[in-house]
Amino acid sequence: MSYWKCRYCNCKNEETDNCKHCKSHKPKEQEKEESTVGNNHGHHHNETDITQDFDLASFMGQESDELIWIKDSIDVTVKSTDTQAAVSLQVGLQLAIALVVSVTVADSEHGRHIAHDLFQKFNMEQTNKQKIFVKNSKDVNITTTDTDLAVNIQALLQVLVSLVAKLDIL
Amino acid sequence: MSELPKSPKVISNKVIDLLVSDVLQKNGVNLEDVKKKLSDDQKELLRAVVEDLTAQVDEFVKKSPKKK
Repeated sequence: MSYWKCRYCNCKNEETDNCKHCKSHKPKEQEKEESTVGNNHGHHHNETDITQDFDLASFMGQESDELIWIKDSIDVTVKSTDTQAAVSLQVGLQLAIALVVSVTVADSEHGRHIAHDLFQKFNMEQTNKQKIFVKNSKDVNITTTDTDLAVNIQALLQVLVSLVAKLDIL
Repeated sequence: MSELPKSPKVISNKVIDLLVSDVLQKNGVNLEDVKKKLSDDQKELLRAVVEDLTAQVDEFVKKSPKKK
């Protein structure tokens, strides 16, 4: 029996179509055949063929982790910003910028370059991790704000407003 | 996170304007041509999108918990 090694998770597989560990990856030969049909950016998933165009519109990486750990304590109040809402707001802004660029530039490849340039200037890729530990305490108030995300959102809005102002839309 | 600034620093509008102009110029976009090409409907739609997003961002920034 022949084996093939998945190049993403490195696990050995028998003659199955997809990698048994990460499910969607295939033997190299098969993947090569498929990549000639669709564009192959990064990891190859079957579904990405359909949504390929949106990959670049919102390619900015942002990771926000928040961990609040409370033990043996009493009367602890936690106030935390809804990071999820902030992230979707950020994606909305990125898409709006991509939309304005795409409407203004007929050539989609060219438009993609411009949107890419705009996003890249901000170097938005960042990780924000907050860890808070509370132990053996009483009457503690915790307030956390994801300031990085708030700044990003405001900066993206400024870019969007500046773009549309230049086009006499506002 | 007590070291974080109390309110997010906003980048100057001039810097953003310069950045956007620079990117458009480097990519050879002629703003006058684009202005002529945009239909009134498209402008109206984009204006609505921007106004909606501005309102959402304002609300988000206002809603963020204040530090004591």
